[in-house]
Amino acid sequence: MAERETLEVDVLIVGAGPAVLSAALRLAQLQKSRGGEALSIAVVEKGREAGIHQLSGALLDPSTLKDLIPEFASRGAPLGTPVDNDNIYFLTQGGKFRLPITPPPFQNHGNSIVSLSAFTKWLAAQVEAEGIDLFWGFPGQQVLYDGARVTGVRCGDRGLGKDGNPKGAFEPGADIQAKVTIFADGVRGHLTKQLYRDLQIGVGTEPAQFAIGIKELWDLPTDRLKPGTVIHTLGYPLREEEFGGTWLYAMDGGRVSIGMVVGLEYRDPLFDPHAAFQHFKRHPFIAGILDGGSIVRYGAKAVPEGGWSTQPRLFADGALIVGDAANFVNSMRLKGIHLAMRSGMLAAETAFDALRAGDWSSGRLSGYKSAVDASPIKTELYPVRNVHQAFGSGLIAGSAAAGMAMFTRGLLPPDLRGHEGHKRLATIEDYYGLTKRDILAASNAAPIDRKLTFDKVTGAHYSGTHHDEDQPVHLLVHTEVCHSICGDEFGHPCVRFCPASVYEMVNDGAGGKRLQINASNCVHCKTCDIMDPYGVITWVAPEGGEGPSYEGM
Amino acid sequence: MILVLAEQKDGKLNRASLETLAAAQQLAGGSGPITIAVAGQNVGAVAGELAHYGAVIAVDHAALALYTPDAFVQVWQQVIAQVNPAVVFLPHTYQTRDFSPTLATRLDRALITDVIGIKGTLSTGSGQAGASATFSRPMFQGKLTADVAPQGPVPHFITIQIGAFRADAAAKGSSAAPISNASVTIDESKLRQKAEAPFQEAKQAVDLSQAERIVSVGRGIKSQENVAVAEQLAKALGAELAASRPICDNGWLPMERQIGSSGQTVAPKLYVALGISGAIQHLVGMKGSRTIVAINKDAEAPIFEVADYGIQGDLFELAPAIIAELQK
Repeated sequence: MAERETLEVDVLIVGAGPAVLSAALRLAQLQKSRGGEALSIAVVEKGREAGIHQLSGALLDPSTLKDLIPEFASRGAPLGTPVDNDNIYFLTQGGKFRLPITPPPFQNHGNSIVSLSAFTKWLAAQVEAEGIDLFWGFPGQQVLYDGARVTGVRCGDRGLGKDGNPKGAFEPGADIQAKVTIFADGVRGHLTKQLYRDLQIGVGTEPAQFAIGIKELWDLPTDRLKPGTVIHTLGYPLREEEFGGTWLYAMDGGRVSIGMVVGLEYRDPLFDPHAAFQHFKRHPFIAGILDGGSIVRYGAKAVPEGGWSTQPRLFADGALIVGDAANFVNSMRLKGIHLAMRSGMLAAETAFDALRAGDWSSGRLSGYKSAVDASPIKTELYPVRNVHQAFGSGLIAGSAAAGMAMFTRGLLPPDLRGHEGHKRLATIEDYYGLTKRDILAASNAAPIDRKLTFDKVTGAHYSGTHHDEDQPVHLLVHTEVCHSICGDEFGHPCVRFCPASVYEMVNDGAGGKRLQINASNCVHCKTCDIMDPYGVITWVAPEGGEGPSYEGM
Repeated sequence: MILVLAEQKDGKLNRASLETLAAAQQLAGGSGPITIAVAGQNVGAVAGELAHYGAVIAVDHAALALYTPDAFVQVWQQVIAQVNPAVVFLPHTYQTRDFSPTLATRLDRALITDVIGIKGTLSTGSGQAGASATFSRPMFQGKLTADVAPQGPVPHFITIQIGAFRADAAAKGSSAAPISNASVTIDESKLRQKAEAPFQEAKQAVDLSQAERIVSVGRGIKSQENVAVAEQLAKALGAELAASRPICDNGWLPMERQIGSSGQTVAPKLYVALGISGAIQHLVGMKGSRTIVAINKDAEAPIFEVADYGIQGDLFELAPAIIAELQK
């Protein structure tokens, strides 16, 4: 059998999103400006090419980009369409009210509507031009330790069959040993999750808060919306008890990004976020905009919305955490790309100095946390640290808290304790009483017409996701829970919160139901790992290079 | 001139070669010669069969008995140098997918793969494919079709998707054309692969892309025991048995019989879908079939949107009735 290879580098960066690429680029810049012995840097990423697993709205605040690459315009940064006008509506079933003023967090003058996938691809090209090796299709799978010191990451194996045994072309994943490993495995990162478990980096912080974002790209007749139009909506189809909203961004050429974000702390166990998104598209206001257009792409991704108070300890012996993996998102402004990039730059600076000093202990790397505290990340996130937590108490309470936070610059309200969202999910009995009902049907099921609305399987197709069927299932589920208590207690919520029909309850041939995991539909959004009420689902990386194809997203 | 590289195995012509010939004839637009080349060991019979469609160059060599990419690249490189074609057509088979990128790169020429349609002919324009014709190929798993024009010096390499053209549309000449044996040398010291005797990993392994008729079964079959119903229908029709993803995922049929985006893509003459709802992932794997017959309980099932003949009903009543009718 093939031997496991080991590669040794100075800095290993895991994941190739905007945070990582900014970190890599910053390292290259420091190397150039300060000289000295060249650092060896490796970047590993599960996607098969740059940007392919990147999904966001996305409105880019270019502030960090200006600091990182001042000449970004002449280097051809794909900054898309400048925001031309902001609109916020409150929707009712069938009606809409436009808010007379656009609250400051929703003002996007100076920002651009971008494809995060395209932007990341461009950023990756800037990094590669600096001679840094980016390894596409290599998922980090396991954190390597020496005691409590992080020593690198083991990549995923290739060529395992469905039964877990090696197929013909088995290749064990390489061990990449590094002095400093920068974790940027994104929202609910599966490696950062290991750090939470093994190094208790979450102790003393608020529980992370998440939302699920579901997005589609559409092509519309070009005269439908002026490029640069930004529409956000609140209200229908979400109820007072669900925190979230929608967006619709018009780009050049009739291309529109449309999506919905729903907090993963909803109570109704039979609620289905994907169905809510279909209802949104069926609203007369939105259906009128989309009429005659066609869907181009579909995707979903969890969003870390907890903000400042939920950031884990950002450093450990030999390790730093950046970007979405560290929950650096401003849920009030719905933005995180510029924060991810900023954290990547700061982590790179700390790592560079540590390596030059020959000390990459936790104490030395804690300089990164001080740098974050002194940076625009804190200036931006600290005042709004309670917003998502407050919305957990409902839209009106949340709006009041958000308003208060804005007017007092974060002095009020006092720190709110959040709850882990999945613990708010009510049991069927608590939510519906003893009324018997079909536990597999969504309470908000939407009609599917395959023109405006699509089922999840069709969505999975439009995500371009692909996984070899003959490999171990990459969703580790303790299925005894599913087959014993979950049906009665929560009605198998996985079949509803998964936006890609990965989870299905099918007849077991003996009069009951059994869980079928359609792992090949997975779009790597991580929602199941977050929202499952028992915490029995663990997302791990499938074989390298697989997963969604988010070109243009 | 167009050169078609036919594929054979153990002296038997791969059906996709005739589809590729039909595509080449379309590009030729009824004028201009088409030369067919075939390589292997003991290819005389295949060459004779191909001669009905045009002049044949046969390459018979012991080193070609078992396929290796290096040997085939060496051979085709020499054949191409001898006949100097403007366009080279190949069937988009597993074998072609293996060696054609190397061949095109070795010659530094354009390669367009998985072509499903041709616009224009060589008889108009300069006679160069890129100037007078474009080639349609699917992108994003069939969501979009791109028209691609090859550029740069000739020859341009084109591979034709299986099932995109009809084998019986390939026009035969009035009499058999001449067969010549190409003189090529194979430098065996440069062959980096040594093929061993082919084996089938699974006993039942089947190349569904070669099947003329397929009976495919989906979730509507309900249980593993019921798969026998589909098996009987397949037998009565002389068809191969295939399935949609859930059936293979359950292990009711082996994975190599799965049709769709994570299985095989097929385009048989007849495709019978039993209890398959027609998720888009399945449709992309079979919508090129010539005639699609669907049996499903749900009249709203998307399979009926691609079916030529649809029966809304219970497959457990209908399949036995069809079998009985076929056996009369």
